[in-house]
Amino acid sequence: MRAIALLRRAQSLTALAGIVILAIAISPTAGDGSRIFLQAGNLTDILRQISLIGIISLAMTFVILTGGIDLSVGSILALSTSLVAMWLARGYTQHIAVAILVAVAASGAMGAINGGVIAATRMQPFVVTLASMIGVRGLAKWITSNQNIDIGFGRDLAAEFAATFREKAIVIGSYAVAAAIFWLVLARTVFGRHVRAVGDNERAAEYAGLPIRRTKIWVYMLSGLLSGAAGVLYAAENHQGNPNAGVAYELDAIAAVVIGGTRLSGGKGSISGTIVGTLIMGVLTNMLRLNNVDSNVEMMIKAVIIVLAVAVQREGKES
Amino acid sequence: MPTGETVRMATVLAAAGISKHYGGVYALKGAHFEVRAGEVHALMGENGAGKSTLARIVAGSTRADSGTIAIDGRAVRIASPVDAQRLGIGIIYQELDLFPSLTAGENIVIGNLHAAGQRMEAFCRPYLDQVGLECEVRRPVSSLPIGQRQLLAIARALSMSARIILMDEPTSSLSEDAAERLFGLIRDLKRSGFAIVYVSHKMDEIFRLADRATVLRDGATVGTVEMPSTSAEELIHMMVGRQLAVTARRERTAADPILMVRGLTTTMLKDVSFELRHGEVLGIAGLVGSGRSELGAALYGLDRIVSGSIEARAAIGLVPEDRRLQGLMMQMSVLENSTLRVLGRVARFGWLDRRREAAELAPVARDLALNCPSVDAPLNRLSGGNQQKVLLSRWLLARPGVLFLDDPTRGIDVGAKQDIYRMIDELAAGGAGILLVSSELPELLRCSDRILVLRDGRIAARYYARDATQEKIMAAAAFGDFIDGARC
Amino acid sequence: MRTLVAVSMLLAACGGGAKKQFLVAFSQANNAEPYRAAQNALMAKLFSGMPDVKLVISDAQQDNSKQVAQVETFIRQKPDLLIVAPNERAALTAVMGQAMEAKLPVICLERDILQPNYTTYVHSDNVAIGRLAGQFIVDHLAKKHGKPRGNIVAMRGLLGVEGEINRERGAKEIFDKYPDIKIVADPVADWIQAKAKDRMTEVLRAQPAIDVVYGHNDPMAIGAYLAAKELGREKEMIFVGVDGLGGPAGGIRKVLDGILAATFVYPLCVDKAVEIAGRILHEPGFKPEKDYVLESAIVTPDNAAQMYQKFTVLQ
Repeated sequence: MRAIALLRRAQSLTALAGIVILAIAISPTAGDGSRIFLQAGNLTDILRQISLIGIISLAMTFVILTGGIDLSVGSILALSTSLVAMWLARGYTQHIAVAILVAVAASGAMGAINGGVIAATRMQPFVVTLASMIGVRGLAKWITSNQNIDIGFGRDLAAEFAATFREKAIVIGSYAVAAAIFWLVLARTVFGRHVRAVGDNERAAEYAGLPIRRTKIWVYMLSGLLSGAAGVLYAAENHQGNPNAGVAYELDAIAAVVIGGTRLSGGKGSISGTIVGTLIMGVLTNMLRLNNVDSNVEMMIKAVIIVLAVAVQREGKES
Repeated sequence: MPTGETVRMATVLAAAGISKHYGGVYALKGAHFEVRAGEVHALMGENGAGKSTLARIVAGSTRADSGTIAIDGRAVRIASPVDAQRLGIGIIYQELDLFPSLTAGENIVIGNLHAAGQRMEAFCRPYLDQVGLECEVRRPVSSLPIGQRQLLAIARALSMSARIILMDEPTSSLSEDAAERLFGLIRDLKRSGFAIVYVSHKMDEIFRLADRATVLRDGATVGTVEMPSTSAEELIHMMVGRQLAVTARRERTAADPILMVRGLTTTMLKDVSFELRHGEVLGIAGLVGSGRSELGAALYGLDRIVSGSIEARAAIGLVPEDRRLQGLMMQMSVLENSTLRVLGRVARFGWLDRRREAAELAPVARDLALNCPSVDAPLNRLSGGNQQKVLLSRWLLARPGVLFLDDPTRGIDVGAKQDIYRMIDELAAGGAGILLVSSELPELLRCSDRILVLRDGRIAARYYARDATQEKIMAAAAFGDFIDGARC
Repeated sequence: MRTLVAVSMLLAACGGGAKKQFLVAFSQANNAEPYRAAQNALMAKLFSGMPDVKLVISDAQQDNSKQVAQVETFIRQKPDLLIVAPNERAALTAVMGQAMEAKLPVICLERDILQPNYTTYVHSDNVAIGRLAGQFIVDHLAKKHGKPRGNIVAMRGLLGVEGEINRERGAKEIFDKYPDIKIVADPVADWIQAKAKDRMTEVLRAQPAIDVVYGHNDPMAIGAYLAAKELGREKEMIFVGVDGLGGPAGGIRKVLDGILAATFVYPLCVDKAVEIAGRILHEPGFKPEKDYVLESAIVTPDNAAQMYQKFTVLQ
């Protein structure tokens, strides 16, 4: 049984390996004849570029495992970028940590509201988070008057924040730490077990007396928290708080989760799969861009990859 | 009209050498059987023996790895349900494959090759009449009781010009009277020359209905017997390959009450009062819809209580009626399913100790004779009986003082049933109070100390098990008979 | 003049003997807006006149993170020249600094960034355009009413964007001199024609007298026109836009068609950028200036036919 589980995981890994080999094979070469794809700079570019979606998709995996969906992650990210930039650039605080805390806490609160409404009303998560996707976007635009809050390159606190948190090592490190924590929580904790049980069979979870509501509130709150953390990194990377940031990020995150083999109806999936799914998308994008493939064609190729990745895993389930 | 005994009807369906495997597990290994026109042919076997898989292969919803099927002596290829429909094969699944939000008429015509271009009422009515279902074609299926849905599914098969009708455990969710109605219909169909393949392991039904029975064990055919010249013991022997000793239960002495229910009233229950004692098995009888399952839901705190009181001196556990819908997480492993309620015990600060988890399950799994390839196997790879045992293990691990078992042996094989009876006896011997709901009266009589009969949400009668008979209980369940004595 | 440059560059290339191929990477903020599509078309056309240059264009689809990632990838490819049309100023500043550190010549096109992380910046002046448009409107009102008075509706682009801020500021500088000129409504239509039509419909319901609609770009002016036409009021006012793109869908065509009274060319900046690019690639000692400002031009029915010829890029 463990062998089968390994094999299934290996399938998305095989897909990743295939894409990496292809990327190496068709990579353009630098002046000295080396392959650009394999340059350390390029490989770390990939990791940095996937980190934001990667972080969001970790909690999205939890949400989808409970049989839900969170469409509001992009809007919450925008809110977080706006808050952290406002607090720093407008001098509401003298501590970077306070600004980050404000942004992440507000994001977590938005997630908790999502979860609370879903748990209390039993409305479909799609509907509830669709509403908050619109509402939180509105909130972000409202508090910023729909204007970007630019973070300069001077010597002020905001600039210091951006310089620190746009460091590749910090961004990639944040993703790695979050991934490790979420992997352990899902595989090794009572909470992780509850997440999967609720998604597998909610009625049975009710009959087994599991804390369904609490579990749901937690997963959406975690989703909000991680979207908020991604928002902080976004603000640093782009030197701005942007109420219009993160549009369609929810779809990228869901795609990564699904490519990673998590069932959209819940109950089955893994963090390792999601990480592999995120890497597949990242390497694919980099490979196409290095070869100057048109970005519209890039989207079409991604569409094919999503369907193929999921089809391959279904195949694996049957045999 | 020649009598069935003298003139052998022709063989209409012959399946031979049918094999099917899922992963490394064989569901069928060269199974074979033949069905004649105008006979009721039972397919028997323990759960996991492969009888449902065989039926599904004949009906085209599962594809065999190898084997041949012949209709009227001519080899045919059945690759899809549409192929089966063209060949006159219809199937009524255990979980009826009806669309609950469509109407009765729509359910009959949908996907029906014969209904094209006909008015719905004109097309459907004869078949509804044939099965004795008096309902509007516009009525949504979700509003029909389960027994009538069964009839509708049969009408649907008939409307597709089926000559061979397969029924997979058709009475598993029917009340006794609905089952009786179904038996009448099956006899009518048989007299009209239909071939009925009846998949079941309910011995009494098969003796009443079937002309012949084919017994499967471990995916292979053990043999086909003529019903009039066989016995229950012989069939059981063929099914399990060993003799089962039906142990009598030891008498228990009365003790202190562990659960006191007074005047309990919910939307479905009216003024229900009883006491349950330590070490006692209290049987709950009643037709489907009499409030049996709702009693469990009320005790477990899932239903709102309008009035009355529940005084429990120990935690109450509930093993729900529908294990797939209400009980089990099919994607999760045996171990994960069984320890779901006691994670606190195998975790420290929220972190699970998998070794301790496995150690908790091991003795319980041994007691229940749980048979699975590995405790890490996902549940959907287990047979129904073993799935039920996993669900029971969840509650055995939780060690509740009071356990409400809602039809725990529904749809599981004879061997697993005996294991579950033994477990009930042991729990009671250990001082727990058991509430046992069952549709099978012999089971209630075998396991219980006392029996409550529910009817329309009220307690219609109470009996000591030793004084009760199937007839008395049936009468009380159906008519609310208070006249008979031996009440308690 | 342009052909001259091209010819001289060709000669320079031939004179070099060795057939060096140049890679020029252009990171475009998005391909969807007509203005940006026109930039891409013109750039492709002009570079095709340099046989030793290969041009690649990436489309960031209005997404800062995507554009940052695309520029990063370009840096890995070590092109001979990088042109960036930034989606937003703050977001692209750092990564363009990285390009400079990687010793790439960088041309910043049209929008500015927070720090001068570029070799040269080719742009136009939206405040000046706003002033031109404002003056045109004032002259029109003076002619219509005998003195400068009247009601103006301003259709605003996406808030917070430089073009929106400055096109408004320039025009207001002019209007503020005349107390009888009133801006009776200034709805936000995010540069988009369909939104402008909806917003204008609402304004028309509320405002009985409108003399001029000033769209911060041509599509919004056209959207406002469509709304007025639907209510049969298009004759009572004039429509003024900005961008002045060529081609059948551009604003100049709409002036020719009599829909817009005037539009103001917002220079694509591409011809200047390509000229400088050619010199950077082919003239080793060439030092461009840090800043090139391109002037606008007014398009009215009088000169529209001629301007249409000039600004329509034949693919």
